[in-house]
Amino acid sequence: MQRRDFLQASALASTLLLVPKFLHALDRPENQLAARLRDAPGGAARRLIVVQLGGGNDGLNTIVPFRNDLYYKARPTLALREADGLLPVSDELALHQSMKGLKGLFDQGQLAICNAVGYPNPDRSHFRSMDIWQSGSGSEQLLSTGWLGRYLDSNCAGGAPAYQALEIDDTLSLALKGAQRNGLALKNPGKFHQLTQSRYLSRLSQEKAAAPAGSELDYLYKTLAETASSADYLYEKSKIHNSTATYPNTDFGRNLKTTAELIGSGVESRVYYLALSGFDTHVGQHGRQAQLLGELSDGLAALAADLQKSSEWNNTLVMVFSEFGRRVSQNASNGTDHGTANNVFLLSGALRKPGLLNQPASLQDLDQGDLRYQLDFRSLYASILTDWLGADDKLVLGPGIEKLAGLV
Amino acid sequence: MNAQQLQHLYWRAGFGPRPQDVAAGLSPSKALRQLLHEARTYEPITSAALSYNDPQGAVMAVPAAPATLAAGPAAAAPAPASSAQPGTLSPARMDAPPAAVDALRPRSALALRRQGVPQLRRADLTPEQRKLQNEAIRDAFIGMSTAWMDKMATSPGQLREKVALFWHGHFACRTRRPDDSLALLNTIREKALGKFPDLLLAVSQEPAMLQFLNNQQNRKEHPNENFAREVMELFTLGRGNYTENDVKEAARAFTGWSYDAQSRFTFRERQHDAGPKTLLGQTGNFGGEDALRIIMQQPAAATFLVTKLYRFFVNDVPNPAHIEPLAAAFRKSHYDIGDLLERMFSADWFYEPAAMATIIKSPVVLVAGLRRTLNLKVDNDRQLLGYQKALGQTLFMPPNVAGWPGGRAWIDSSSLLLRLQLPSILFKNAEFAVRLKDDENDITPQTTGRERTVKTTETTHLPLAPIQQLLGGAPPESQPQLLADFLLQAPLRPENLALVQQAAAKAATPEERLRNTLVSLLSLPEYQLA
Repeated sequence: MQRRDFLQASALASTLLLVPKFLHALDRPENQLAARLRDAPGGAARRLIVVQLGGGNDGLNTIVPFRNDLYYKARPTLALREADGLLPVSDELALHQSMKGLKGLFDQGQLAICNAVGYPNPDRSHFRSMDIWQSGSGSEQLLSTGWLGRYLDSNCAGGAPAYQALEIDDTLSLALKGAQRNGLALKNPGKFHQLTQSRYLSRLSQEKAAAPAGSELDYLYKTLAETASSADYLYEKSKIHNSTATYPNTDFGRNLKTTAELIGSGVESRVYYLALSGFDTHVGQHGRQAQLLGELSDGLAALAADLQKSSEWNNTLVMVFSEFGRRVSQNASNGTDHGTANNVFLLSGALRKPGLLNQPASLQDLDQGDLRYQLDFRSLYASILTDWLGADDKLVLGPGIEKLAGLV
Repeated sequence: MNAQQLQHLYWRAGFGPRPQDVAAGLSPSKALRQLLHEARTYEPITSAALSYNDPQGAVMAVPAAPATLAAGPAAAAPAPASSAQPGTLSPARMDAPPAAVDALRPRSALALRRQGVPQLRRADLTPEQRKLQNEAIRDAFIGMSTAWMDKMATSPGQLREKVALFWHGHFACRTRRPDDSLALLNTIREKALGKFPDLLLAVSQEPAMLQFLNNQQNRKEHPNENFAREVMELFTLGRGNYTENDVKEAARAFTGWSYDAQSRFTFRERQHDAGPKTLLGQTGNFGGEDALRIIMQQPAAATFLVTKLYRFFVNDVPNPAHIEPLAAAFRKSHYDIGDLLERMFSADWFYEPAAMATIIKSPVVLVAGLRRTLNLKVDNDRQLLGYQKALGQTLFMPPNVAGWPGGRAWIDSSSLLLRLQLPSILFKNAEFAVRLKDDENDITPQTTGRERTVKTTETTHLPLAPIQQLLGGAPPESQPQLLADFLLQAPLRPENLALVQQAAAKAATPEERLRNTLVSLLSLPEYQLA
């Protein structure tokens, strides 16, 4: 068997064998989007918020297998114990003690946990692995566009506005770059609007290129015009709703608040992209990870409450991922080194299947000390694209990606 | 039209024209001959940061004498951002002691030093040592990047540096070892205009590349195909011109290609699979050199390489009618790169009006071009690296093994806004702050948001004399058009001319007027094109 074929087959096999039955794609009529959108309250469009945990979050100390001897054996000083205040979500698994906010959402059926998500032939470089997650490629594949950028290309063609996908940041990630269309990066609507407001730029942005349609110059002027009109739109709209909710007083917290305000103002964006970095815990993991997970959990709980207040939580799906998990064994400096498969969180007021979606990764059957993945992240992407955003996953991810039904 | 053609050549074969290049008034063909002539000289880039701040030395001195933990590295490594950092090659720092430049050591010396010190595994480092090591590595990369940027902006060997920039993306490579990366860069710069097979062989035997593409793990019993695959897919043939079986067989041929502790290429015979292989239709007991030779016998190689060079130097949209004759000549010349480029830059179609202003400048070309065409002096060229990164291009950090995609991929809302503001930031101190993404954490993990923020500081000096010379006493009202003719490769439209004139009119002095005119012209979308 040829190498790439083999990899594809093995990816498929693991998806099919290890994922519980309810998640298998069956394409029943009731799964189809048209029907679901018809039934959606007010027919409102659904939106996706992607939260990227940069640096490789240690999934084993996030969703803790607190009854597993192998876990305690591999991590003599780093393992977390019930006495630390772990927050059990099943007989075997507990959330990190700093994630009370997410525990609350779990108890309300608004959080789903996918275990052991990854991809074949995992790459342990932060940069390459993030590249793989953002582009939605296999590890043997090179793509210069992102999965959400290709979603814009294939599903928001024609007159779709530039603010269809927003990254709350100063610069745009690969994830939101398409071949034809790009998402738009902004730290906040006010600052972004201000950038386009110099008299010179605003005059320029009203011009059309005196160049042939489709030329590079035409492309530059079109991008400028779209940027300026998007900035106007977002700024005007965002004045409508000011959130009074309390978010963590951090950059990530402020970005979440901006997101909630844009959503609450009725901005018609389908995708939001945010990052929380600093999870590269080779050294002294305990304090650092606890602080970051607390920031994540408090922030997302505030977001959920805020969106509930503006009746947007049922139309919102949050996906939280990291480029890889850490190794099972702790290292000599009370930290963990780069590993492989990891958890993905899904949050929404309208989850079809909340709770633990599959078994945790086996600590017995390791691949040279690393977790084996059970679920290809592209299967998650495919399901979200089709069943949540109403897009054609094949145009975005290519053929051969197994979808999961009954997920969202 | 002649001036426009001349400038076109300087933008494509280099980093833009200087006022004196236009004043010289050469014909494009004479200018091309001069560019080719001046590109003959090759001088290696040596980085002061690297020798002063050698990461291995800095960290490794520590365990031998624990008492000097604090003093050792600090003494070895002066604060990198300080303007007193010696050895940086920018003109603004010519007042640095010359000894700093003399102290640059060739790579062999670095390697020898490393040989004498026991290698430390990452896990053995204390957090403090690890942090120091990461910072030293990062500073070495910054030193190398600024040194090369300086060459692009100032060297007469424009064509060599421009082609090297192309190969830097073509042979994309990321490592944590600055000296290996620098060696690869110098190999690329040295052989940039020679015969492609020589360049390919040299690059393929660079430790940086062997490490990046895992050929160190390519052994007889357990072949690792990564290197062989990328050699065919990205370096020479392109997809569809070889089979998966060719990848396997080529991987067997490359078994044993390796490097030693001193970062020197070595052939490990015991790891080499000496059995017969069938590669691209030929059978024999091939080694790595044979594999590269057989690959380069494929006609597809010439078409693939010429198309990629064409997209970089001529037009992002390939024109087969231009490419096919070039590819045929490239093959016939045994892949002589200099010859190919000479043909490209002297073709009639290269100078047609439709061929001009068709390429979106990469961030490196944009910044190096601003420096070169305006004779810009920078106090802190490290900050310029920050702008490049915010615009999406960091030297030595290609996004992946395929390099920077280029073309329209450079442009999105935020990168375009930053590009249009950059002249105001550089020349008028416009306020600016961009927080860079945390995506270099392979090298420096957990940098704080504050450390990742690029902010405006007063660092540039824009000398007006060369521009005034170019204008030659033209009356103020005709200056915008004359400057546009020099700075833009696309025609300046009446609406934009009016905008530029308005900006100029707000000035109190002739100097301010000139500065306003420059900044508003450089802030046009047209300036993004070369």
